[in-house]
Amino acid sequence: MVGAGSAALEAPVTHFAVRAIKSLRGGIVPLLLLGCWEYNAHRDALHAYAFVPLEQVGAALYELLANGDLWLNLKGSLLRTSLGLATGVALGIGSGVLMAFSRVALTLINPLYQSIRQVPLLGLTPLIGLWLGNGEPAKVFIIALAAFYPMVLSTYEGLRNVDARYREVGQVYGLNRIQSFRRVLLPAALPSLFAGLQQAVPFAWIVAVAGELLFNVGAGLGNLMMVAETGAHMDVIMVCTAGITALGFAMSQLVSILSTHIHRWRQ
Amino acid sequence: MNATTIDVDASRGGTTRLTPAGTVTLPFFVPARRRIDWSHLTGLAWLASPLLLLTAWIWVTRAHWFSEQILVPPQAVLEAFQEVWNSGELPGDLKISLYRLLLGFSIGGAAGVALGALLATSRQAQIYLRPTFQVLRQVPTLSLIPLFILLFGIGETLKIVIIVKSTIFPVAVATLEGVGNIPRDYCDVGRVYRLGPWTQFRRIIFPATVPALLTGARIALGRSWMVLVAVELLAADSGIGQMMEIGRQMLRLDIVMVGVIVTGSLGFAFDRGLRWLERALLPWKRR
Repeated sequence: MVGAGSAALEAPVTHFAVRAIKSLRGGIVPLLLLGCWEYNAHRDALHAYAFVPLEQVGAALYELLANGDLWLNLKGSLLRTSLGLATGVALGIGSGVLMAFSRVALTLINPLYQSIRQVPLLGLTPLIGLWLGNGEPAKVFIIALAAFYPMVLSTYEGLRNVDARYREVGQVYGLNRIQSFRRVLLPAALPSLFAGLQQAVPFAWIVAVAGELLFNVGAGLGNLMMVAETGAHMDVIMVCTAGITALGFAMSQLVSILSTHIHRWRQ
Repeated sequence: MNATTIDVDASRGGTTRLTPAGTVTLPFFVPARRRIDWSHLTGLAWLASPLLLLTAWIWVTRAHWFSEQILVPPQAVLEAFQEVWNSGELPGDLKISLYRLLLGFSIGGAAGVALGALLATSRQAQIYLRPTFQVLRQVPTLSLIPLFILLFGIGETLKIVIIVKSTIFPVAVATLEGVGNIPRDYCDVGRVYRLGPWTQFRRIIFPATVPALLTGARIALGRSWMVLVAVELLAADSGIGQMMEIGRQMLRLDIVMVGVIVTGSLGFAFDRGLRWLERALLPWKRR
């Protein structure tokens, strides 16, 4: 703490340099881990089976990029996620709105929603597989479900918790139902909607990949990983895992940026 | 109530006030329109849609709109449940699944608390571990399944490692948050009162951390359960997920349905159990 205090007093350049060096210390552990990995990779053939040399991972990435495999499967996964996400978010918001405005809808939808939600999402895959087959509809369905769950809840709660004063202002201005929904309720519920989206987007992405692991048909990163797994291509799997992580992170960052952009007026 | 004015059943509303002279003044307020009181029924209203669905299910299967492979009647699901229960298949699979969950969750939970506490209290740990922690936290557990299969094979180790991975990070984050949120003043008060370390832990640190920790544990348990079922679907020779997978391969929809209902009920029970624990341990935090 003393160090931080004196650093703040120094010239900004030194402060910056100190911070840069300090932040490098966080890299020591990852470097050590990678070193261990590399050491294991070069020990003997048995270890090299699981611990592929890191240079080989780089080569695999280059190869996957060059022969278009990565792009093809990535495109498959992303398209599928977008489709499922769009469906799930639209249906989720629709159900949430319905539940917020109609008591009948609430009493009818809520018990079913709450009970189906208890089933671990991927535990539904055998059932969905039997009903919809192993193809595209099954995968999109499960992604849509992943996006649907958080959106219903966040829409409903967002609309329910709108400040009564806002509603009253709407009444004073004599807004009709549609106007008051568009001008008063929706903007007030927007933060909650985005909180739901913040959950729905990464979850849908993970479920998309997991769905591809389970339903082994069609192009997708999960599929590429499963094929690599049967062929014991650790390098390909590592490229895929890293890519999936990076994309998931990027997606949730994107939602977060979008959310702050839309909520500028709040500040 | 004094002798000059008598309220006649004011609680019902809409009554008149008798004055000593016997003249009747205006009613207090407009009498409420008598309505049928449905309030005792709304408690049961949530049953409407499940019952409706069940009726539709029975009716559709009676009418044979779909083949047995697509939609089995509810009785068949019940019979399948009895079948797999009596044959010892379901109890055995459940036992192994719950054992995996419990073992992985205990290891992951303990490690998560330790990691979170370390990151929250030690500046050195912050500097050296935090960036690694933040990156690894982002890796989705499910996307690690193929990697872990190559590293650990498809035996017991795989399932335990996967559950440890899915538990450790939510618990560590919750611990980090809980310890970080202890108001400084509370610790100062503890110091002023010269409380011993145990009393400080029991009176200050524990009550301040446990709410976040329990929420983290609840999230972690739910996720671990889903991840475990997924791993068992993908690579296992036993467990509830494997039972469902075999059911799917043999086109036994009834067994798959039994699996869905059982995993759902257990997920519900875990969630409720930890919520109950929250209420029992934190009586001041009733919501």
